[in-house]
This record gives sequence, structure tokens and C-alpha cells, in this order.
Amino acid sequence: MKGKPFALAAGLIFAAAAFAQVPPDPNNPNEAVPEKMVYTPYGETIKLDMAKKAAAAALAESEKRGWAMCIAVVGPTGDLIYFEKMDDCQWASVSIAQHKARTAAKYRRPTVVFERLLAKGGFFAYLPTLDDITMSRGGNPIVVNGKIIGAIGVSGGTGSQDDTISQAGAKAAQ
Amino acid sequence: MKSRPMLTLDDCRKISAAAEEEAKKNHWNVAIAILDDGGHLLHLIRMDGASPFNARTAIAKGRTAAESRRSSLVWEERIKAGRTSMLGMPDITPVQGGLPIVIEGAYIGGVGVSGVQSHEDEQIAAAGIKALG
Repeated sequence: MKGKPFALAAGLIFAAAAFAQVPPDPNNPNEAVPEKMVYTPYGETIKLDMAKKAAAAALAESEKRGWAMCIAVVGPTGDLIYFEKMDDCQWASVSIAQHKARTAAKYRRPTVVFERLLAKGGFFAYLPTLDDITMSRGGNPIVVNGKIIGAIGVSGGTGSQDDTISQAGAKAAQ
Repeated sequence: MKSRPMLTLDDCRKISAAAEEEAKKNHWNVAIAILDDGGHLLHLIRMDGASPFNARTAIAKGRTAAESRRSSLVWEERIKAGRTSMLGMPDITPVQGGLPIVIEGAYIGGVGVSGVQSHEDEQIAAAGIKALG
């Protein structure tokens, strides 16, 4: 009985905070409300044969340049379909390559988009709080006939090296 | 210092191609995972019609065999025989379909398969390992 008035007061304070309007911040670019959604629609899941073709092109490009990479191909939902680790690729890249592919598929855009936004600073600092996301370049959607059928993620070198190989793989699946 | 064999990408390709061939021959759609002796993924294919669950299970069975240096069936049978405390072992998936890769007496990795009946999964894994020679 003794604690009741306090509990009631605390409840009122939290309720007031929950219903209060947050004043707009004119400097924040995220507060504009765009008329339309711009996105590439999902298509049917990539077949294993095409996933192999994409990975083979990525591997050929890596070998040509003497780079040791991990290459992952996923379906539209980010679930793994093909993976290979080249000899001497760093161990961290086994999971990073998969994560990049998953991010590109689930957010249906290249991971470099996030990397660039994050680099803009303050108003984009919330991005790393999104679910299951990596913001390092090297993950690219595989788009066929205007639809996303999967994604390819590459890791092992610098972000720019990874993205070069990833793009070579994504292009081969056209 | 002791030296021991280590799986290369070429080895993984041989294993994966032979295992896929065995699956295709039987019209089975499966996922096939190859891992090193530390349980790190080296190679994976998920055939058309196999599910995301199959891919995760193939990795889990392969890791069980690679890290514990025995087939995942051994774990299944031990637990079935009543040793239920084995369910608490770390990263163990006690379901048939994962086999260790043994070369020159050294345990160098594991193959895990998922998609059909467990003994058929193991048959595919065995066909893959056999291709190493």
C-alpha cells in the first residue's frame, strides 16, 4: 500500500513522455517524406547453376589479380546457396562474405550505399542499429530482368577490392 | 614440428562435385557443406529445391563430424542408447549425415549433408570424401 502513490506518479510521467510530440529538426535530411518508394522488386530465387556461374566469374577475377577471397551467394531472403573460401583467405572473411551477401539481398541494395551514408556522419549514425546489417562494400544484389534473384558477397581484401570482385560476379549472372 | 595435410579449395571442389553427382544420380535435392578441422566453412552448395534449413543443417552436421572427429551418427547412437547428457556437448548436432575427412591418419575436416533421409545424406557425404582418393 505504501508504494502505490509513487507507482502511480511514475506511470503518469512515462505516459506523458510517450505521447509528447518530438519537435522536427530542420537540419536532419531523414525528416523529408518522399512521395514514392524506389526499389528493385524481388524475383524467384537464383538457381544453383547461376550461383556457381557468378562465383566462378568472381573467382576468375580474384585469381587474375592474385587476391585471396571468400565468395558467398545467397537467395533473395539472404539464405546461403553457394560458398567458397580461396586458399589463404583470412578467416574473418568466411562470415563477412556471407554477411555482405545477406545484407545486399535483405536490404536489396549494394552494401556500399550504407558505407557511404554512414560516412556522411551524425544523422546516419542510426544505421548500424538496423537488424542484421554490415556496411562494408562488397555485397551486391544479383539482378536479372529487373528483379533481385539473390546477392553476392565478397570479403578478403580492402573494401574496394572486395567490391570489384563482387561486381564481377554479379555481372556474370545477368 | 608436426606437419599435416590441409584441405585446399581444389580438394573441396572435388568432394563437392562428387557428392553432388551422387545426389543428382538419385534425384535428391540436398545441401552439401565442407568444413576444416576447426569447424570453419570452406565450401557449400545448396541444390535447387533444398531449403535454407538444409543449408544450416548441413553445416551443423559437418561441423559436428569435423570438430569431434567422428561421424554425427556416432553421436546420434550414443544418445539413443541413453547417454542423454551428450546433448549438452558444445556445437554437436547428433543426426546422421556428417562424416569426418581422414587423410594419412589425420582428421582434416568434415562433410555435412542435409535434404533427404539421414542415411542417404551420409551416403552422399561418403561419396564426396571418396573422391579425395
